[in-house]
This record gives sequence, structure tokens and C-alpha cells, in this order.
Amino acid sequence: MKKFNKLFLTVLISSAFFVSCSNDDDNNDEPRGDYENGIFIVNEGNFGKTNGTISYLSDDLSIENNVFSLVNPGKITGDTPLFIGFKDDAAYIVVNGSNKIEVVNRYTFKSIATVTANLNNPRFIAFANGKGYVTNWGEGSDPADDYVAVLDLTTNTVTSSISVVEGPEKIIENDGKLYVAHKGGWGQGNSLTVINSATNTVVTNFVVGDVPSDLVKDNGTLYILCNGKPFYADVETAGKIVKVNLSTNTVSSTLDFTGITHPGFLDIEDSKVYYTIGNNIYSMAANATSLPATALFKASDVTNLYGFAVEDNKIYAADAINNQDPGEAYIYSLTGTKNKSFTVGISPNGFYFND
Amino acid sequence: MTLRIRFAFFLLMLCQFTWAQSDSIKLKEVVVSDSNLKKYSTSQSVQVLNDSILDRNQPSLTSLLNFNTVIYFKENGLGMTSAPSFRGTTGAQTAVIWNGININSQFLGQADFNTIGTRDFNSITVKAGGGSVLYGSSAIGGSIHLNNDLRFKNEFSNHVFFSAGSYNTYSANYRTIVSSDKYSLQVSISRNSSDNDFKYPGNSDERNINGQYYNTSMNTTFGYKINANNTLKAYSQFYDSERHFSLTSPNASKTKYNDFNTRNLLEWESQLGRFTSKLRAAHIGESYKYFPSITSNNFTYGKVETSIIKYDLAFDVNDKIKLNSIVDYSRNKGYGSSIDNVKREVGTASLLLHHLLTEKWDYNASIRQEITDNYGNPFLFSFGTKYDFTSFYRLKFNASKNFRMPTYNDLFWERSGNPNLKPETSYQAEIGNEFFRKNFTLSITAYYNSIKDLLRWVPGEGGGDVWAPENTDKVRAYGAEVLVEWKPKFGQNNFTINGTYAYTVSESQQLIKNELIYKQLIYVPYHKLTGSVAYNWKKLSSYFQYLYNGEVYTTPFNNRASKIKDYNVGNIGVDYDFGAKNSYKIGFQVLNLWNENYQPVTSRQMPGRNYTIYINLNF
Repeated sequence: MKKFNKLFLTVLISSAFFVSCSNDDDNNDEPRGDYENGIFIVNEGNFGKTNGTISYLSDDLSIENNVFSLVNPGKITGDTPLFIGFKDDAAYIVVNGSNKIEVVNRYTFKSIATVTANLNNPRFIAFANGKGYVTNWGEGSDPADDYVAVLDLTTNTVTSSISVVEGPEKIIENDGKLYVAHKGGWGQGNSLTVINSATNTVVTNFVVGDVPSDLVKDNGTLYILCNGKPFYADVETAGKIVKVNLSTNTVSSTLDFTGITHPGFLDIEDSKVYYTIGNNIYSMAANATSLPATALFKASDVTNLYGFAVEDNKIYAADAINNQDPGEAYIYSLTGTKNKSFTVGISPNGFYFND
Repeated sequence: MTLRIRFAFFLLMLCQFTWAQSDSIKLKEVVVSDSNLKKYSTSQSVQVLNDSILDRNQPSLTSLLNFNTVIYFKENGLGMTSAPSFRGTTGAQTAVIWNGININSQFLGQADFNTIGTRDFNSITVKAGGGSVLYGSSAIGGSIHLNNDLRFKNEFSNHVFFSAGSYNTYSANYRTIVSSDKYSLQVSISRNSSDNDFKYPGNSDERNINGQYYNTSMNTTFGYKINANNTLKAYSQFYDSERHFSLTSPNASKTKYNDFNTRNLLEWESQLGRFTSKLRAAHIGESYKYFPSITSNNFTYGKVETSIIKYDLAFDVNDKIKLNSIVDYSRNKGYGSSIDNVKREVGTASLLLHHLLTEKWDYNASIRQEITDNYGNPFLFSFGTKYDFTSFYRLKFNASKNFRMPTYNDLFWERSGNPNLKPETSYQAEIGNEFFRKNFTLSITAYYNSIKDLLRWVPGEGGGDVWAPENTDKVRAYGAEVLVEWKPKFGQNNFTINGTYAYTVSESQQLIKNELIYKQLIYVPYHKLTGSVAYNWKKLSSYFQYLYNGEVYTTPFNNRASKIKDYNVGNIGVDYDFGAKNSYKIGFQVLNLWNENYQPVTSRQMPGRNYTIYINLNF
């Protein structure tokens, strides 16, 4: 009872504050919603369980977990959300195990629609030509049923599909073309598909390296991080960073990792490439022709690096820990000083900047 | 709070039963399929579930044991995969013994308790605590014994059981016994199926999608007395099932799973003076097929064939001292989508001693050595003693070393199996107190169990998708169990009251922010309680069953937010015997009486209140 009284008092006092705050805050820059700016963190939860969630980290560094269900009572994010794509005022949460895309307003997080038809093992989304393009594995063990679904953004329905080779994973857009990395489903892929959004047809597909997992474009070049084949593959291979010229759609150069190193994640900020090996963070100039010998720093708090991003002079690392307990999100300076950490949801996989 | 209400209800039910009767227990000349279970388990807690209990429960082993024993079940939705936790251990640390032969899956090291029907067996015995000396791998938390016992006397009997229930759930069982003093034949056929498309209880308009299942099984037991000193016995079982796995979200991919198991055992027993020799040969086949999408014909599969030869020579030194030596050789061959045609051979030798020191005091001591190429060669032992202090109180003590071998998946899973694994080992001790009167028994057992080199699949260094098995954790488990049975009788009113309670602490060390902290294992409740009241009056019998499972953690660090809440489930049933000479029963059951909304496992919903009618004919 005492607790309740305290709570009541707290609510009363804080609501008074809120009221006064919003009165003071009468700038012409009208806020569009509670989730403007800031960062969404996608927490996959466990496959086969509906415990995936979305966390929100505001610009003033306060964390709010499970925002989708809080804003939309009675709705859950579902089984293994993988990615959030932004387009205009909407955010598209691709939920892999639940075979759906939750469409919400990116500033208020209020639900707009749920897309369920014609998705089969959806993975990632990109936008071009007023449409959404969603990579789908189909059945993980079937190499012949993989496709990119074309999502009509006005009706939120899948209107057609583009058949591609096995395991389409990350997808990004450049100049009306879509670039799809074939990580390979349950197996190991090694190619990149280019799709023309004007005709919704495959322009080309070519080999880039084993298990391409991260795609970043910068200054006319597509940077592809290839993990290399894992130890349980037929032949284990080392990872590489492959650069593709976006005007000619050909591989322009390749940086090979030595031994059988498997790098994890890649990002680019201010013409600097950042990548990870285990929980070591490396950086180099975007035009570098060889890989750095030593790490920028080791994120030693992180036990299981599961998501990574560099933005506005900050390095973000998501720690999935044991993939069962709530994970942690860490913010480091560019030199490796730990600034802040937050407890998020189960298996946080990345940072999605709402700006 | 809710618990108290349930108890009040429980007591209320009890009062209503004050006018009933029960099956009188007839003594039968039975040849027990697993005689060592009796001989060498006197110092441990053993609970026998007989055919009257088997008949009134749902046919899955999960449901039977959940409502009648201290074993906790992690059931992934009704009829879906189900693993036990016995004394705070994992599913792979509970052995399932079919007529004396360990039948845990070679792939997973554990049995799926929803793929074992109960109606094909005469009795099911639950033995708590270590039993690896007798039953080998996995008998760490305890063992479940499925028995087909034979009778050698002139008999021709038939048993027909048929039930129909909510969600198109049908269950049928036919059993016949044909026997003389020379031979004995028992055949039992069972079929269970359900649409299992229940509406989620509560206000939800969601349904259980894709949960349908069926299973068919046949058990044949044959015994032949060649002469006064030689008996031949053959046991055979086929089990075939298909389950669609319930979805956890409405648009998830629909999957299905097939199991096909065969078990055959031949036994030749001869009596030569004070020697009893038993030669047994068994073949066990297990196979599965998993369809990741029911709309496609793609599937993954696995198959293991196991052959076992076992020779057991018993020697009664005198009336008081019994010795057994057992040698056992088993070989299995496995293949499948991710297992590349691999072979494993295991040889064991055991020596068992049972000694009756006085009328009131006995002990047994046993050792076992295991020999194999695929993992270490554990040496196991067991020691137990029992002393009757008074005519109503007995003290038991048992200590043992037990083990679990790495499974096929652990050792041979293509490119991530680890050939350098050691077996899990466990040291445990228990003290049991038994109080008994003519119609009353109470047993209270406390135990401590330390398990090392626990086999776990863990994500590889630096995270990512790669998981591989390792000998990682250490677990310490301790707790107490209470079993009570009371059979009061007032004129023609017969009651049978049973109760079980378990308090369990089972912890492994977790590295949390660079600090090692002991945390409760996931899916192990601190408290579990069951109770039942059966009441018989002339031809009418009725019963009430109650189950309480305490809350469980679902994450290794014991995150409070994702705990699964505790739940209370009650079943009630009544039947009437309208037979004159034979027993012809018609009955009605209400399961989940107060429509409890519960999920034993995260995202795995169970049905609300549902109904079954049945007939049970014996002639």
C-alpha cells in the first residue's frame, strides 16, 4: 500500500512536470511524435517464440523497451523481428518467424498495417521507385523458392515477386537499383543480385565472396563484408571486404583477411570503414588498400557482439550475451571509451537511426 | 492467493466424495519384466502407477506423470515435444526404460514424453535418483520404467477402451491376454488422434493452429515356459506418429514431424540351482522426419539402429546374499541429413550385491565399468541401505555415481559435433524416511546431486550463428520430495488419496558482468504439487486430480520479466460400471476444470476446459 501511495505521488508530481514542460516547449519545431530522432534497437527474441521486441533510445539517452506493444496495446512484435526500414513517415518492421511486416508511423510508432500475405521467411527491406523490396528465403532448405517481394506502399500488399538465387539477405537501394546480398539461407551463398526497380527484373548476379553479410554504400561504391565460410562448411574460408563500383556494377577491389578470419559487421562513417572481428573493433580509411594490423579497441564488456553501427562519432555495439537473457547496448567513443550501456531486449541485432 | 482458492476447492471436492468405493486389489501371479528394479532399488524411492491410474489418465506419458509424480514437464503445447525435469535435472538426465532396456533417443539423449503412449503397458514405475549402474546413460535425475508383465495361468481376457473428447480427440485401445500355465500372450493396440485446435482460454479469439496429431502403437508380449527351468520371452513394440507443431504466431510456417520407432527384445531365462541366467538380445530402431513446411515435400531426417546383447547371471549365495553380474554390449549405427553414417560401440560390465543383514536391515552395493572408443570410460558405483526401525518407520540411504554419455548429435553432427566430449557425471546422495500403516504411507526424501561436465550447445566465440556442444557447466541440485498415499474405507465408501510435493533447487554458475553467480536452471520450478482423490461406492467411482506448478525462469540469468507464472490445473471424472459379471464402465471427464489459462513454455498455449467421454470394457 505504501508503495502504491508513493507511485501515485510520483505520477502526480511528474505529470505536473510534463504539463509545464510541454507548455514551455512551444517552439515552431512541432514534435511529430514520441519517437522522433533517436534510435530503434531490434531485439530478435528466440526463434519460435513471440518474444521479439523493439527498444527505443532517445537522443538524450533514455531507454524505453518494448515500444511496439506499449504504443499498440494488444499487439506484439512477434517471432524474430530482423530489421526496421524507414520510408517517408513509415517504419517497416520485418518479422521473420511470424512471416509479417508491421508497418508503423516512425514518429509515433502507432500501427498502420500488418502485411502477412505472400511473405515466406522475410528477411530485410529496401525501397525504390515508390515500392518496398523484401528479401524472402522461402523454405530454408529449398534453393529454388527464394524471392524478393514487391510491396505496394500505398495499399501495403505484396503485388509481385522477383525470383532470385538462394538466401537473399541484406538489400540496399542506389539510383533506382536494388542490391541483394546472397548470404545463402541454410547454406553459404557468395553472390550479389542487382534488380532494376523500373522493370522489377534481375539485371545481373555475380560472385563477390563467401557469405556476404553486410552492405554499405558510400561515395559511389558498395562495400560488402563477406564472413567467409564457417568451420562447419565443406571448406572453411576467410572473410573479405569487396568493393563494387555502383556505376558499372562490377567488383573494383577486394581486401582479403588473413588465415581463416571471419569478420562480423561493417559500417562507414566520415569516409572511414569500421568492422569487427569477435569483439575487436577495427577502422581504416575507406580508400585503404590493406587491412589494419591492430584493432582500434576491444569492446571487452561485450560477450556476444550481435549488432554494430557507427554514427555521429559514436560506436554502437549490441551484446546478445547468451541469446536468452535481455541483451545490452553499448555506446563507445571513436577511440573506444565506454560512454554508456543500456539493458535492452533478447538478442539485440542492430541500431536503426530515426533521422 | 489463487493457490489458496484452489485448495479450498480441493477440500470441498473431498467432502463431496464421502460416499464411495474402489477396485479391490487382486493378487496375481506375475512375471515382472524387470526383476532387478525390485531387487536393487530397495534403498530408493519407487512409485508404481498401476492400470487403474493408467486408464483414467490421458494416454500421453507427459500427462500421466505430470498429474501423479513429482516430475516437472516442459511441454511445448498439448501433444507437442515434451521433456521432463526430474529432481532439477534436464530431460536428457531422465532415463526411459522399456522392459529393462534404455530407450532414450540416441540423437537427443532424451525421450520425448509425448511420443510414448501409456495404455500399452501393465504398469509404469517411477524411480527417483541415480540408476546408471543398472540402467546406464541418463539415469541421473531418475528413471521411468514401462513394463509389460506376463501371467502364466489359464486366461482369456479382452479389454476395450474408447474415448472421444473436445477438439475431435479420440483414443482407442484394445488389449487381449491369452495364456495357460505354459504360454502367455498379450497384444495391445492403441490409436490416439486429435485436431487439437482449441480456442485459447481467456478473452482471446486466437486458436491453436496446426496442432493436429495422431499416433498408433502396437505392443506384443509373448512368454513360453519350455520346461520348469527355462522360459522364453519376446517383447515387441511399434510406434508411429505424426504431429504438426502448433504455431506460436498465426502466420508462422506450418511444420510437421514424424516419429517411427521399433523395439524388439528376446529373453531366455534359465534356472540352474542357485543360478539364474538371463540372456537378452534387443534391437531398437528410431527414426524421425521433419518437414519445415507442410506445403513442400522437403524434409530432414535421422535414423539410428541399436543392437544390444546383455547377459545377466544371478547367484543366490544363500537366503540372504544375492549377487548379479551383468555384461552388456551395444552397437548403434546412425545416419541422416546431418549425421554421416557413424557407428558407436559400448561395452559394460556390472557387479551387483544385495545383502539382507537382518530381517530389518539390508544393503546393496554395485559397480559398473563402461568401455567405448567415442568418449571416456566412466566407472560408476552405487551403495544403498535400508533399516526398519519400527513396524511403521523405515530409513533409507543411497549414494551413487551416475553418468550421461554424449549423444549422436553431440558427437557426430556434421562438422559441429565434438569428438572430444566427456560424459556428464553426477555424484548424489539421498536419505529417505518412510512411515507406513495398513492403509497409509508417507515418504519424505532429501537429496543432493552434483553434476559436472554438463553437455551444452553454446554459441561460438564472437557470437554468430555457429553453435557447438561443449562440456561446460556444473550443476548443484538439492531438494526434498514428499509422497503420500492414504486409502481410508468407511463401510462401502472407499477412498484413495495421493499427494506429491517437490521442493527443488537446481543451480548452475553463470558469468554475469564478470561475476560468477549461481542461478536456478531454466524450467525448474521451486515448487510442484500434485494431489488426487479417488472415491468408489458400489459401481460408481469418481476422482479429482490436481496439479500445481510453481513459476519457472526461462533464461539462464533468471530474468524476472520473462518468468512463466505458476499454474493450477484440475481434472474431474466419474464412471459407472453397468456390468454384472464383467466390468463395463462408462465415464465422463472434465479436464482443466476451472479453465486455467496457462503456458508451460513461453508462447506455448494449453487448452482451457475440455471434456471426454469414455467406455472401458473388460470381458
